[in-house]
Amino acid sequence: MSLDLSTAPSRGPRTHHRAAPPRATSRWRRQLTRFDIKASPYLYVLPFFLLFAVFGLYPMVYTAWIALTDRSPLNMTINFIGADNFVELWHDHQFWTAVQNTLGIFVLSTVPQLLLALLLANALNRKMRGLGFFRMAIAIPIITSTAVVGLVFGFVFARDFGLVNWLLEQVGINKIDWRANRLPAWGAISAMVDWRWTGYNALIYLAAMQSIPRDMYEAAAIDGASRRRQFWTITIPLLRPTIIFTVIISTIGGLQLFAEPLMFDNSPRALSGGTQQQFQTVTMYLVQTMNERLRYGYAGAIALALFVLIVIISLINYALIRRISSDK
Amino acid sequence: MRVTMRGRPLVALTATTIAVLGMAACGGNDDDSGGSSSNEPITLTVDIFGDQGFGYESLYEEYKKTHPNITIQERGKGLGLGDYNTRLTQQITAGGAGAGDIVALEEGTITQFYAQADKFVDLAKYGANDLKNNFLPWKWEQGAPPALKGKVLGLGTDVGGMALCYRRDLFQQAGLPTDREAVGQLWPTWEKFIETGKTFASKVKDKKFVDSATNFYNVVLMQYAGAGTGYTYYDKDNNLVLDSNPDVKKAFDLTTQMIAAGLSNNLASFSDEWNAGFKNGTFATIACPAWMTGVIKGQAGDAAAGKWDIAKAPGEGGNWGGSFLAVPTSSKHPKEAAELVKFLTSPQGQIAAFKALGNLPSSPQALQDPAVSGATNDYFNNAPVGQIFAAGATSLKPVYLGPKNQAVRSEVENALRSVEQGNADPAKAWADAVAKGTAAGK
Amino acid sequence: MTAVTMGTPQATTDRKVPTGASGAAGRLWRASPLTVLALVLATILSFFPFYWMIVIASRTSDTANQWPPAFVPGGRLGENIQRVLSNDNANIVKGLMNSLIAAGTITFTTVLLGSLAGFAFAKLRFRGKNVLLLVILATMMVPVQLGVLPLYILMAKLGWLNDIKSIIVPFLVSGFGIFMMRQYASQAVPDELIEAARVDGCSTLRIYWHVVVPALRPAAAVLGLLTFMEQWNQFFWPFVVLADQNNPTVQISLKLLNQAYFTDLSQVFAGTLVATVPLFVLFVLFARQIIGGIMEGAVKA
Repeated sequence: MSLDLSTAPSRGPRTHHRAAPPRATSRWRRQLTRFDIKASPYLYVLPFFLLFAVFGLYPMVYTAWIALTDRSPLNMTINFIGADNFVELWHDHQFWTAVQNTLGIFVLSTVPQLLLALLLANALNRKMRGLGFFRMAIAIPIITSTAVVGLVFGFVFARDFGLVNWLLEQVGINKIDWRANRLPAWGAISAMVDWRWTGYNALIYLAAMQSIPRDMYEAAAIDGASRRRQFWTITIPLLRPTIIFTVIISTIGGLQLFAEPLMFDNSPRALSGGTQQQFQTVTMYLVQTMNERLRYGYAGAIALALFVLIVIISLINYALIRRISSDK
Repeated sequence: MRVTMRGRPLVALTATTIAVLGMAACGGNDDDSGGSSSNEPITLTVDIFGDQGFGYESLYEEYKKTHPNITIQERGKGLGLGDYNTRLTQQITAGGAGAGDIVALEEGTITQFYAQADKFVDLAKYGANDLKNNFLPWKWEQGAPPALKGKVLGLGTDVGGMALCYRRDLFQQAGLPTDREAVGQLWPTWEKFIETGKTFASKVKDKKFVDSATNFYNVVLMQYAGAGTGYTYYDKDNNLVLDSNPDVKKAFDLTTQMIAAGLSNNLASFSDEWNAGFKNGTFATIACPAWMTGVIKGQAGDAAAGKWDIAKAPGEGGNWGGSFLAVPTSSKHPKEAAELVKFLTSPQGQIAAFKALGNLPSSPQALQDPAVSGATNDYFNNAPVGQIFAAGATSLKPVYLGPKNQAVRSEVENALRSVEQGNADPAKAWADAVAKGTAAGK
Repeated sequence: MTAVTMGTPQATTDRKVPTGASGAAGRLWRASPLTVLALVLATILSFFPFYWMIVIASRTSDTANQWPPAFVPGGRLGENIQRVLSNDNANIVKGLMNSLIAAGTITFTTVLLGSLAGFAFAKLRFRGKNVLLLVILATMMVPVQLGVLPLYILMAKLGWLNDIKSIIVPFLVSGFGIFMMRQYASQAVPDELIEAARVDGCSTLRIYWHVVVPALRPAAAVLGLLTFMEQWNQFFWPFVVLADQNNPTVQISLKLLNQAYFTDLSQVFAGTLVATVPLFVLFVLFARQIIGGIMEGAVKA
């Protein structure tokens, strides 16, 4: 809409009468400007694709190719087996259980996480005593190391001596064996995920909220709009690109969830995600297939299936978010 | 060698290059094994794992005295076996790039490398066969399995001789004997062990007899398999026999009986809660390979010193764990590396490692050495650890472990844990174990 | 923009009561007691693990498994930290340096290249833009675990094993950074400003520097923070390529702190504490950007 200059550099006359001042060197400068407008975007995105071509593409093609083979470090040879891995995967009960777990934990953790992050960011986007402190406090879980998260939550959700079970006992509820049952395990893992990532998303929202001009809120307030109303009619619509960003990123990250359930288990059999796969995610199954069962080919098939799953869920979420935001 | 030379002066690098080129020119026919065959300085990298390493520090010093041109660099002390083995698998699969000149292979994972034996140097070429009598026969065979047709993949370091550790104070509370001889006589068999556990459970209500079902199961399985078929989940032709090997089912059933008797503390071994169990003294016994004594001492802490003791394990001996040293073909100095392997795994080398860390030797000569057989452990009420563990190691019969032993074992352990958790009855758990174990061994 | 006009008429009474000197505009940005309470609660939750870390790091190693748990720091912090620093197996000082170099470099380039590319995707027109953006998104959706082996072989061929290059170069620019900057720039940088700059004869790079960069500052600080933390916490890839223990990253060092068959928790936590201090300093530096920006805004309002 606004960038006439860059729409069609080839349509010469329209461009240069605006861009170039009439000077002796104008011809040269005009050409330079044209080159700048034409080439700059490509130059700016080039580094990513260059690095990707060298370091990213080969591993990715490898993953796709290996899914069609029976590759394993235990086999001397590599045999092309077509879609066999995918056929096996389609009938693999363990895979579908892992998909269920992944989706379950994803919904249980992401929805409250993003809502909470929005509310926190909104709360932090105002004036109060100790504001700087609060902002830092909310974001500080980002700098904890995984060892600390694992240990602290191991302590919080321990069966025999855990903090939560102790609290439950005080109010007369029986202890829960968090790792033995599916829903408690999902809940506990979601709590871990949310603890680590809510502040992270709040920070992203906060940065975006700061770019919303204040006078918009002030004008709305003068018109008598309540804070809640301002939040829904100004903040949310203007944050739309950022919300889309966090939803897509959370989808990608949430469906590849790995570290938290692994830490939650903290036994040598952690990749199994519980004795009966109560909380094994797809990525855990992928790594188990690769590193324990040493079936690289089959792991490749799992990786591709997970990719397809992520694409589908991302598209659904994208459609949903667009709808919600534009309704307001 | 590029790898290990990083950060050294250019001179050293050049010297190494010359050394390498020089060796290549000689065609490797230099068979003189006494002392150092070449005086050019080289660096040998030794990859090991384990929280305390392998206890080789003094041996390196000694070796350098006779081989002044060799620098030894050890890597991996502090690493868990899981991380170590995942990296090693990557390195070996990538043709050995980045792997050490010498790598340690653990008993449960060496089986995986039988299939990649072509990526390892045949130690027989460097005279390893002459040393066969330096090792317990079953240990030798694990490093040079018949399937490799005479190739020697690795030489044994230590074994995980088996005993049973118990809490004297809890035994006293239950009215059981506390003297280690008398305790050992309580359980000539595992069935008797469970009977003892029932007596214990009837007297002591707030503690359990056994730490976890999985530790118990693994020990019983290795014993049964040693006395029976000689293999566990895979037969000696690497066919998965999880559902047909009677030894596996027997060990599984015995474990579910133990659980049904209410003896297990229901802790996942090597988890934080298991660690807390030592601290809080919530169980009375634990199946105890030699290296487990270190775990108990560390986890239970000084407060429990003298409360623990060690008795003979039920049944006939047993083994859990132990390692090998091997040389990947990617090593630029296979000959020198092989010489160092022979030195580290010699009876003298194993005695030194025992003195340093208590790793039980796999060499009969070393096991008979007074430094080993006469050793006691003051944390465990001065138990004669040398005698107890050596007895377990020498009476053991070999057990063959298949290529994906670890992966299958995990699934069987999961099934047993699901019984402990009350999520499955023994019949369903066995069905789960077979189904998932079969998938894991595929 | 339509949002602004949606105010309800009956609320006009509200603005007839100006309180104090700050008036309606000031009140608008003041937090309610409930908000403050929620924030205090969130703060406690956020800080608990750090507090816990100090408790364990300052006691003997069996404290973590003790029941009832210890809630007060002990007196062995200095001793435990001393043990960490002198543990030559872990090489934590070298690990800290390496991680600082690697994470710092990657953070710098990720923010720079991410904002350049994000700006291009959000505000410039070029052929194939949408397709390229989709490609970037798609690359983030492919699970990377299996790629470790081919990438490892590649590093071996380049001769980068045990070289810090191997943990830097492949990660210099991230799809995440580009996507984040693109979304943020499309919201925060007004088209009019760019157009005006064009009319003034600014080159694209000048527009980036004088128009886009100032607007992206808070988001760039967030991206920088997130990138640094992510790189700092990397374990598996550095562990695989940097097998030489004399040249670790901080996470490898922390892993190597285990000194016995059991985990020496007080030392691990003391090590984690040592490794957290640089993070905390950086966090404060980055956070000032984010916090500073809004403070200006608040004062102006």
